[in-house]
Amino acid sequence: MKRIIRYRDLIHTLVARELKVRYRRSAIGFLWTMLQPLLTMLVLHMVFSTIFRFNVHNYPVYALSGILFWNFFHQGITASMNSLKGNAQILKKLPVPLEVFPIATVISGVINLLFALIPLFVILLVTGHRIDASLAFLPVAILLSALFTLGAGLLLSPLAVFFSDVVELVGVCLTLLFYMTPIFYPMSIVADHPLFWLVRYNPARSILEVFRDPIYLNKIPPIGHLAVALVVALVFLGVGSYAFRRMSDRIPFYV
Amino acid sequence: MAEPVIELADVSLCYRLAKQRLGSIKEYFIHLVKGALVYEQLWALENVDLRVGRGEVVGIIGPNGAGKSTLSKVISGVLKPTRGRCRVSGMVAPILELGTGFDFELTGVENVYLNALLLGRTRREIDAKVDGIVAFSGLGDFIHSPVRNYSTGMVARLGFSIATAWVPDILILDEVLAVGDARFLDRCLQRLHEVRESGATVILVTHNLHEVRNHCSRCLWINRGRLHADGEPGPILDAYSEYIHQTGGALVDRSEPQPQPPPVVA
Repeated sequence: MKRIIRYRDLIHTLVARELKVRYRRSAIGFLWTMLQPLLTMLVLHMVFSTIFRFNVHNYPVYALSGILFWNFFHQGITASMNSLKGNAQILKKLPVPLEVFPIATVISGVINLLFALIPLFVILLVTGHRIDASLAFLPVAILLSALFTLGAGLLLSPLAVFFSDVVELVGVCLTLLFYMTPIFYPMSIVADHPLFWLVRYNPARSILEVFRDPIYLNKIPPIGHLAVALVVALVFLGVGSYAFRRMSDRIPFYV
Repeated sequence: MAEPVIELADVSLCYRLAKQRLGSIKEYFIHLVKGALVYEQLWALENVDLRVGRGEVVGIIGPNGAGKSTLSKVISGVLKPTRGRCRVSGMVAPILELGTGFDFELTGVENVYLNALLLGRTRREIDAKVDGIVAFSGLGDFIHSPVRNYSTGMVARLGFSIATAWVPDILILDEVLAVGDARFLDRCLQRLHEVRESGATVILVTHNLHEVRNHCSRCLWINRGRLHADGEPGPILDAYSEYIHQTGGALVDRSEPQPQPPPVVA
């Protein structure tokens, strides 16, 4: 931990570099961060309010808040898995604490998420959704999401170095998890399903609800939900850091 | 010996060259089930015991593939030994390869920051030294153009300037002095001298035996992963050059039995 604090300026620089690459490469890179979730939301909106008809109040806000959380989580994990390979030349030759790479990746993910919140606010205004002080809780929710994502990234990034098919395997699992998480559908429609427990005890759902409550329901999550989300985030972070530390000595040999 | 800053106790390091490169989990489990998880093990270092005191300048010599670079990676903390213990006290500044940690799209100055951050410096520490680093590198106006336009010598100049801008406790140079021009080499050696005067320890991996003879207080001869000789540079270098001439300097093939070089009598 002390070593990571010593390298905080390095993390800062890595984040800046990652964002620069992302936003410099394509002319509308910056716009794309905001447009992509918006377009996904539009597609879902068209499909689910005309064809399947969920009974969800202000579906665009419900879906978009879910999509923003999911994109952050998904991209954070995928980018963490690439972060060690992408910096192979550095970590084979310089004694840097390897955690800095997934950490920098997740931090730049948070910054992308902040940009992606802009169109969400536009949608809130356009649809006349209520906006109140509970939004001030959002930073806490983002912090919890970040710790959760970082934990998963720390656990998976060394595995992605050791086995090349981990990236594909994780991709499939994430797709599964996407459908197990009430991102584009309301919890109520799966409540009677025999596999409801999969959704109910899905750790990503606890985090998502804490993220969505202040945006969609205009409330600070109930203390019980918050406690569960906090425990989930800390358990992921704890397990992830422990596993990373156990595996990190072998990373330079395989990367 | 002065208080040791580097202590290696019975250090061995094994590279597992997976014969079937186990690239995937599927393969891993198939092999695990079949009980056929065989690796071709390559012991790059075997039972190395080493203590280096503060202020020593140690030259490491040996044929290609002998384990010199692996040893410098273990000392710098990049690779952890498979067996044995390695204890290093103090800040290590390693230059294990030219241009390591450089982003070739960034300018020289930007790379000063990036590289020094990778070496564990903080932004404030770098702010204070950046002018000195640029001046020492002698790169002039080139410092503001992207590093991809640099020659190897220029990259070496910049890397060396950054790594030695702060007097590290341990400076590790793995064959990086070979590419600079004579004038820069002089300045490097001058700075090495300063680094040594300030009490730092220097590890110099090189094929240039003159460098070892003129600048090192101690010489290690690594042969096939083992510490073959350790002591005063003079006699070791004489024995080494004779051995290299006899064997024709062939690359070490570890699968072939090879005659052990004769012991050095100091």
